[in-house]
Amino acid sequence: MPPAKPVNLDVHAIATLRYIRASMDAAGSVAVPGSAGIVMGSVGVVATGLSLVPQLQAYWLWIWLAAAPVAVLGGGLLLARSASLRSFVIPGTPARKLALGLLPCLFAGAVMSVVLWSAGHLTALPGTWLLLYGSALVSASVSTLPIVASMGLFFVALGIAALVAPGSLHIPLLGLGFGGLHILFGFLIARGVHGRES
Amino acid sequence: MAAKAKARTPAAANERQRRKLEAVASTTRDDAESKFDRLIYERVRLGIMSALAVREEMSFNDLKGLFDISDGNLGAHARKLEDAGYVTCTKSFEDRRPRTVYSITSQGKAALNRYLDHVEAVIRATRG
Repeated sequence: MPPAKPVNLDVHAIATLRYIRASMDAAGSVAVPGSAGIVMGSVGVVATGLSLVPQLQAYWLWIWLAAAPVAVLGGGLLLARSASLRSFVIPGTPARKLALGLLPCLFAGAVMSVVLWSAGHLTALPGTWLLLYGSALVSASVSTLPIVASMGLFFVALGIAALVAPGSLHIPLLGLGFGGLHILFGFLIARGVHGRES
Repeated sequence: MAAKAKARTPAAANERQRRKLEAVASTTRDDAESKFDRLIYERVRLGIMSALAVREEMSFNDLKGLFDISDGNLGAHARKLEDAGYVTCTKSFEDRRPRTVYSITSQGKAALNRYLDHVEAVIRATRG
């Protein structure tokens, strides 16, 4: 019988530390359900479709302003099923960290929307929304799945594109982001792709 | 230069190694606490302690989903940690369904810190 292969103590100790770290990371994050992304994306697709109807094009801003709370409500309800409402309130809990990661950029987006609307710069709104929503996702990804950061970066890229693109491309870019990216990443998350090291 | 040459002699190297091993040994106490420290060497129990160290509380189902283990397995490991005073278990009802919530105690945090000190000392001693 061949002698057992010795294992270095430090290799075992480092593997133990990695396991502790992985356990802490997993426990400290909110499992965002893929279904939330799919529902939010579906709302985005409907809003895009309505905004592209010639008779409704003039009302694109109101369509998207109506779609936003519907998408947030749908996604929020599905998220609340995996993380209790109580965990959004207790300091130090992952759900609260997720909310705190999202809110500053979303608040900035709301303020910028009012400022741009007051100044009559409506063409800058789609890019601003995509850019700041992407930034919110990147900062919130610290307390959820790492793949959310990738989704955020795609939103940021679309936002930059929308800020320099002609107005005719704004609605398709909004649809690509709030519709397409949400659905695509929702499916990826639902299939178990989360971007975390295994 | 002379000091470096001196450190490379077999006697100096042995002495340095002996000190490192003593540092590792000092992190593993030989008193009443040591037998409890062995509790968290087991992988699932170490995972439970690590998870509870970053969350104020976790439900039975949260922990079960996190480590992908059976009810019986998790229950047995959690009971051992509870008996040692490392975690507390609170049972309640939510929507008429039983809910079991675990949280780490200060004694449990201290045990986890001791374990981390030990692992760190092993790495330092072996890597120099």
